[in-house]
Amino acid sequence: MLSLFQQGLEIVFTVQILGLIFFGTVVGIIFGAIPGLTATMAVALFLPITYTLGPHAGISLLVGLYIGGVSGGLISAILLKIPGTPASVATTFDGGPMMEKGEGAKALGVGIAYSFIGTLLSIFALIFIAPTLAKIALSFGPHEYFSIAIFSLTLIVTLATGSMVKGIFSGALGFLFSTVGIAPVDAITRFTFGLTALNGGFDILTVLIGLFAISEIIKVAENVKTEKNATINTVTMKGFGFSMKEFWGQGWNCIRSTLIGTGIGILPGIGSGTSNIVAYMVAKKQSKYPEKFGTGIIDGVVASEAASCSAVGGAMIPLLTLGIPGDTVTAMLLGGFMIHGIQPGPLLFVSQGPLVYSIFIAMVVSSLIMLVCELYGVRLFIKMLAVPKHILLPIILVLCVVGAFGLGNRIFDVGTIVFFGLLGYGFVKCGIPQTPFIIGLILGPMAETNLRRGLMLSDGSFIGFLTEPISGAFLALAVASVVLHIFQNHRAKNPLPAAQH
Amino acid sequence: MSDIKKREFAVGVFFLVVGLGYLYMTSTLPRKQFIDAAFVPYVLSTIMCVLGVLQLRAASKLVVGEPSAKQAEQPDYSTVLKTLGLIVAYAALLEPVGFPIMTIVYLFTQFIVLTPADKKISYLTYGIISVITSAAVFTTFRYAFDMMLPVGLMN
Repeated sequence: MLSLFQQGLEIVFTVQILGLIFFGTVVGIIFGAIPGLTATMAVALFLPITYTLGPHAGISLLVGLYIGGVSGGLISAILLKIPGTPASVATTFDGGPMMEKGEGAKALGVGIAYSFIGTLLSIFALIFIAPTLAKIALSFGPHEYFSIAIFSLTLIVTLATGSMVKGIFSGALGFLFSTVGIAPVDAITRFTFGLTALNGGFDILTVLIGLFAISEIIKVAENVKTEKNATINTVTMKGFGFSMKEFWGQGWNCIRSTLIGTGIGILPGIGSGTSNIVAYMVAKKQSKYPEKFGTGIIDGVVASEAASCSAVGGAMIPLLTLGIPGDTVTAMLLGGFMIHGIQPGPLLFVSQGPLVYSIFIAMVVSSLIMLVCELYGVRLFIKMLAVPKHILLPIILVLCVVGAFGLGNRIFDVGTIVFFGLLGYGFVKCGIPQTPFIIGLILGPMAETNLRRGLMLSDGSFIGFLTEPISGAFLALAVASVVLHIFQNHRAKNPLPAAQH
Repeated sequence: MSDIKKREFAVGVFFLVVGLGYLYMTSTLPRKQFIDAAFVPYVLSTIMCVLGVLQLRAASKLVVGEPSAKQAEQPDYSTVLKTLGLIVAYAALLEPVGFPIMTIVYLFTQFIVLTPADKKISYLTYGIISVITSAAVFTTFRYAFDMMLPVGLMN
């Protein structure tokens, strides 16, 4: 392990890679800070640049964008009371009132410090959990992979907010699109309509760019004409703005929120957009003064930022060890890996050990850069908030088109992003969640291939999926999560009468 | 029937249409045995049809209250349609016309379409930004990253 760390350090500590991490982190913070732009969009945008870079350099850049993008949302959440990304929604609850009370600098200082601590702790969790999990996953066969894919699919639809029917449909539709092209095992061509470009199926990156970047641009068009410019408050930062007593006083809140964030990050498809709200609610529930939450106290900012940023390390765990993305940005990173011919999974730790450890180190370096940049460069990021959206978004669209075209130098991929952009916009208008679609698209081939391989191993019998202990356990968990969700929904619709006793 | 209820019904119909369409396409696949290339598509299409029925059932039972002020705010679909048209035209004409020219045209028109109502359209600024962006992106990706972006009419 130590030699791998050493090799990882040698890879990262070069001028080129450190420069790319710095660049990625700063751009990520800007994308995170500007409402409407997200870390997913930042990664989508910079993927074409990574084509010509080596895998170490390219992935280091993407890691910087990811960490900066998740953390950057706190700037607008506090200064504008508008969350820059879904990861900083709960930061507005107390960060905004703190700003109104004239404690904006303190709120920013708290947010920056605890987003750094949350990120760092989750990276440590990643460093210690991922190699162990990868060792266990090495013994997994088709039965286990099929059951994990099914468990992940059911988890994402049951944990997604809104209608369960729409969540399942979204996941099934993603699965449907994954069946386009040459089928696994018997290589039959399915649903290609005679188009040879569809033989290889849809590229995950074109789907992601369309669904998350193009649809967002179309969505912004709905109200950009009538949007009023938000008043951007400026603050002068002097240190972090809080005392050591306050720092130690938030110790348990920070640890609990980090654990929540990392745990939620590990679950497929959920990530920082959910973890910040869950951690905030738990912090409020367990507080000695819950009535003060929402009035501008640092507890709320600590809980939200520690949880949202710790989901970063959590989301990388299933990506690196099983090839299952923890959130939309890691789904994008999965595509980034594939561009360089790298397949995430347990074998990655055996065949590409130095690369894995260089990712760990790049994440630590990026979080340090994030801390310094947000602390000392806040004025620059505030200026970036003033860039008009009607100029910025069309330029982003052009870069998305370039990114899609660069995947295979074909116009077909440009058409694909437009198609999935329209589909994504349709999803937004119909209240259908997009994340299950992506998880279905990614896990669909994994589930189908391993189902068929597993059946071949057990002579066409399904029993193998139930009798293999790990496989059986994951299938039981999948059933339990669906039953629990249906039970909770039923109880929410038919609450017990309060005055029965 | 309220707009929300209509929308939920439309979503249910969409689910059913997709499910049935997929089922029909799956039925045209060659069969070899019970578990073959058509097995998963059959499972998925069945699930989608069931979800369509469940969605229609949920929509019929939906009780909708009075729309709030926020809900009553109508999105600007005229700008959305113009934006959609521009994006589709940009993608369709990218190869025959070429990236440099199409990008200038797209950016210039898209800037105008998205300009907020309370802001003046600055044709000169938009023109300069469009030309500089197109040239910078084309030069960077074509010459620094060896990406063969289409040149179309400039060939």
